[in-house]
Amino acid sequence: MIRLVRAEWTKLFTTKVWLGLLLGSIVLVIGFAVLFTSFAGNAESGIPPVGSSLYEELALSTAANANILFLILGIIGMTQEYRHRTATPTFLTTPRRGRVVIAKLLAYAAASAVFALVVVAVNYVVVAIHAGARGAAPALNAENAAVLGRSALALVIYAVIGVGIGALLKNQVGAIVGGLVYLFVIEPVIRSIPATAGAYKWMPGGALEALTATFEGPELLAGWQGALLLVAYGLVFAFLGTVIAVRRDVV
Amino acid sequence: MGPTPRPTRGDIISIASTASVDPVRVEVRGLSKSFGQVQAVSDLGFTVEPGSVTGFLGPNGAGKTTTLRMLLGLMQPDAGTATFNGAPYTSLTDPLRTVGAVLETAFHPARSGRNHLRVYCRAAGLPLTRADEVLVQVGLADAGNRRAGGYSLGMRQRLALATALLGDPAVLVLDEPANGLDPEGIQWLRGFLRHMAHDQGRTVLVSSHLLSEVEQTVDRVVIVGAGRLVREGSMEQLRSGADGAGTVLVRSPEVARLADVLRAEGAHVTQEDGALTVSGSTPAEVGRRAFAAGVELHELRSHTSGLEEIYFQLTSGSEQFAAPSPTAQEATR
Repeated sequence: MIRLVRAEWTKLFTTKVWLGLLLGSIVLVIGFAVLFTSFAGNAESGIPPVGSSLYEELALSTAANANILFLILGIIGMTQEYRHRTATPTFLTTPRRGRVVIAKLLAYAAASAVFALVVVAVNYVVVAIHAGARGAAPALNAENAAVLGRSALALVIYAVIGVGIGALLKNQVGAIVGGLVYLFVIEPVIRSIPATAGAYKWMPGGALEALTATFEGPELLAGWQGALLLVAYGLVFAFLGTVIAVRRDVV
Repeated sequence: MGPTPRPTRGDIISIASTASVDPVRVEVRGLSKSFGQVQAVSDLGFTVEPGSVTGFLGPNGAGKTTTLRMLLGLMQPDAGTATFNGAPYTSLTDPLRTVGAVLETAFHPARSGRNHLRVYCRAAGLPLTRADEVLVQVGLADAGNRRAGGYSLGMRQRLALATALLGDPAVLVLDEPANGLDPEGIQWLRGFLRHMAHDQGRTVLVSSHLLSEVEQTVDRVVIVGAGRLVREGSMEQLRSGADGAGTVLVRSPEVARLADVLRAEGAHVTQEDGALTVSGSTPAEVGRRAFAAGVELHELRSHTSGLEEIYFQLTSGSEQFAAPSPTAQEATR
């Protein structure tokens, strides 16, 4: 299995997809952190003032907004095999295709853990500098470190979910567009409609908010439950993808 | 990195001559596969022997690629088995070390040829140096660091072949490998495949829709049409099938008298431009009769161009999407 995981890392780092998505995540996080800090304490924005613990929790959770890019990283990692037809040599090398999917899950979990640490580090540094300039830089105490750690964990789990969705859908463009539509249209709608808001806590977005931080949100699970629920989504997608899609004939 | 060895095509055979391999026999038995209403492969069975190059021939749509994909575990057959020394592909412990396959040119366009090969070195547990060795073997050493997306069609074929060679496999399976190769490349591939089979005892199965393309390379043929086996045997057997029809071409200044002599013996003779085409006979037989009758001969030879005709006869009408014609229906029975 370690051979297959290393093969996946070789695949990942011999194209520049990872670099683009990592830089994109960093830019995104810098933007959100600066925006949050700029409007902290602004009565109209409703964001608590710099120095308050709620502000620090929200500002240090902005890394979790890169979840869509980590989802795309996982989706591309799986679907590129079909898009560029390398599924043929990959499955010729490893005829037991479930092992390929497991190797991808492990490889992308490990690689995205490193990327996620970079992203939350950038998040902390930007918030520390900006909030420090506005009067109170958050300390890197246990509480704040835990917030950053939960964001990083969420990003890793989204990359795993991406691999699972990619295995299930195979079509790269379809999976990415579907993922974007789901995260930015379907979930926000469900979250905002009172009749369906109760179900939101069981959805990936609700689980993400439970794990990281919430802002004027509905009722959610406990943080550890959110994490488990997210992992379960990723593994269920990967399992269904392996059983339903990956085993199908490679034409 | 050390200096890259200068690749020349002459080196290829000497580099490849490492050692002979354990022979692996490929057996296909009762293989069937349908896609919806279309029966792509029907009860197909044949054997591919080690130490020889076997041509897998048939018109487009005859089921060649489907058969090869079932052989390699990429498609699930509806019925039947395909095995390597008795084991199906999916239960081989080290598939790349047993079987190398060139099915299609599949690369990530942004990845270099060398990195593409390294991916499969890693996955198969082969040393990364194998990537450089096979690049030299197929004559791509200078292009190894370039993006595969920028490769020409011929270079893509060579990279696909390099991927197949990574594990130094006992069996090589190639689907239409000559596509995109220039004449020099085809010449090189012929020598390469014959060397792999004859000198190293490997099992080589190469598919083509053109007999003429592989005629000089293969020792045995498996001919399929409409997903069924049409003919399996050596090239000699196929040729003797052509010659057995016994077409002899003969030229003489006394064509008319020779024709009468031969017709008197019951041969079927057609006359054209001062030459006779005699069917159901041999050059020796025609020469003997001409000599006995005292007819002067200027040319006497057996009509050997019949191989392509035989292939055409065997497979005509078996195309999946052929327009209906009386002869086609006859040929498929």
